[in-house]
Amino acid sequence: MDDIIRLENLVKIYDTGAVRVLGLDTINLSIKKGEFVSIMGHSGSGKSTLMNILGCLDRPTLGNYYLDGVSIRDMGSDELSRIRNRKIGCVFQSFNLISRMSIEKNVEIPMIYARKRPAERRNRAIELLTKVGLRERLWHQPNELSGGQRQRVAIARALANDPPLILADEPTGNLDSGASVEIMELFARLHREGATVVVVTHEENIAAYTRRIITFSDGKLISDRINENPTGFSEHSDLCERIS
Amino acid sequence: MLLENMKMAFSALKANKMRSFLTMLGIIIGIGSVIAIVSIGDTMRKMFTDLYKDVGLTQAFIQPGYWLEDVRLSDYFTMDDIEKLKDIFGEDIEYIDSSPSVSGEVTVGRRKKNFNLNGIDFNYIDVQPVDIVYGRYINEGDVKGRKQNAVMEIEAAKEMFGSENAVGKTFRMTVYGSVMEFNIVGVYRKDMSPFQKLMMGTGNGTGEAFIPWTLLTWPNDNFYSIRYFADTDLDERSLSALNSEIVSYIARSKGRTSEDFYFSTAAEEMGAVDSVLGGVSAAVGGIAAISLLVGGIGIMNIMLVSVTERTREIGTRKALGATTGDIMIQFLTESAVLSAVGGTIGVMLAVGLVSLGGMLFSLEVVIKPAVILMAVGFSAVVGIFFGIYPAKKAASKDPIIALRYE
Repeated sequence: MDDIIRLENLVKIYDTGAVRVLGLDTINLSIKKGEFVSIMGHSGSGKSTLMNILGCLDRPTLGNYYLDGVSIRDMGSDELSRIRNRKIGCVFQSFNLISRMSIEKNVEIPMIYARKRPAERRNRAIELLTKVGLRERLWHQPNELSGGQRQRVAIARALANDPPLILADEPTGNLDSGASVEIMELFARLHREGATVVVVTHEENIAAYTRRIITFSDGKLISDRINENPTGFSEHSDLCERIS
Repeated sequence: MLLENMKMAFSALKANKMRSFLTMLGIIIGIGSVIAIVSIGDTMRKMFTDLYKDVGLTQAFIQPGYWLEDVRLSDYFTMDDIEKLKDIFGEDIEYIDSSPSVSGEVTVGRRKKNFNLNGIDFNYIDVQPVDIVYGRYINEGDVKGRKQNAVMEIEAAKEMFGSENAVGKTFRMTVYGSVMEFNIVGVYRKDMSPFQKLMMGTGNGTGEAFIPWTLLTWPNDNFYSIRYFADTDLDERSLSALNSEIVSYIARSKGRTSEDFYFSTAAEEMGAVDSVLGGVSAAVGGIAAISLLVGGIGIMNIMLVSVTERTREIGTRKALGATTGDIMIQFLTESAVLSAVGGTIGVMLAVGLVSLGGMLFSLEVVIKPAVILMAVGFSAVVGIFFGIYPAKKAASKDPIIALRYE
């Protein structure tokens, strides 16, 4: 039972009044602790719907979602907030940093909601920003950073409460190829350090970084394969060194 | 957490300085005007109260009712009436006269000036103290002998005679149609606030002097009113008992009822003025409070804009673990801070302006702490009240939709 994610006959139906749309059709899926997984699919394939459910932002219509062994089906919204806060680190396509706060403060946000003490929050934020190579930028505002740097701040923020699951929704969607490589290398490194990372993407070369690639189409899981030869384990080792 | 919310609120308000200031302006003006108006009202009430205290709160007037249609000569008062009152009520009355005064033009050489000559008894100085700077006050001999002696106010003396010490000088004035010549036997000074001078009719170029009241009982030693100062040691109940006894005695002696006489006391008048002023300042303050309401609506408006603008932020915060309550409190804190800062600025502005006004007019201003507390409390309540709806709107946003908001 070291599944971090387990989906049992999960169904999501969108009821817009006039039309009922089947968002996810009977998904069964397990992701173990420490896996590095990508979820692929074209737009409308159901991958975003799955992402929302995995991120505890939405609930399944039918079936069960066990996160870290706990079913979220009957949780209230405050309980879900707590789960999102402690168990999940979210990374978004457009970074979603709060613009009028320093990046250090941005990293503190999940810890504020976890009711951690100010000194503890600060130390942890500095530690994480050091880890993603932004030690010198603590007091900068997000708009003073490049896209890649901003996404690194967002990753540091996702790690703030040391969650067992990192969920990234198209994390390289707004980045140029250089920055994309940088971010995927960072995820690969986190994976090597033991984190469970799930990346949603529609780009083959991004998915290529992960060890397991799950493909969705029309709300159905159509393929689940192991990537024997993931990108980034040898070629970019110099970059890995630089970041760490 | 509260501290964190406060910090977040301040940083959010700082991010939009101009907008925050304009929003606060409504509260600043609202709070400022409520405090300013109530303080001005309280200051005026205090000025009037002081004025009446200075005039003597135990002072009372009696006249035959102006509503009487059959006023007879016997309804008028005589010297005899005053003597009898002194005999009967002397113990509780400090001073009594007919409160006469005449005004007219006084000429000394080329100098001309309007004067009020106030008829008084020799012991008037006990109930209305003045400083005798030169010479003496009106004495018993002046009153009994109806001597044409006068005690002049120092500024007027200086103006008429060129020097403050006018003792020994004379002046003429037409009294009841005939010219009288008065010898100045003394010069006095009375310290008055500018407001007192204004209300007492001095300071506007009219000179003041005291003369024996027995000179002003024309015609035939009959007069229309009696005034007395009751002993200031009397408590409220014995004072009103004394007043009604005096009125009924006078009524009986004139063969009338108490209801036929007009009776008023300084205390009563003061109460009436005070309640009118209190009512006016409460009413105007209430109108000013409406501007607070408008300010509150301004806050609600800008908070609604802010919530819409920050939809993504709200979505992000929720995704990172903020509960509905966390978001609600964040936005409520923001509107409360907006309102409280505005309220504080308003208080400072009002206190500053009222104090400045007091300095300019050399008045002792009254700013009650309770009024300030109430205004600031009210502004915080306004901020929270008008913040509830926007905060609820923010808190109830669906994070999935909020995250996708452009």
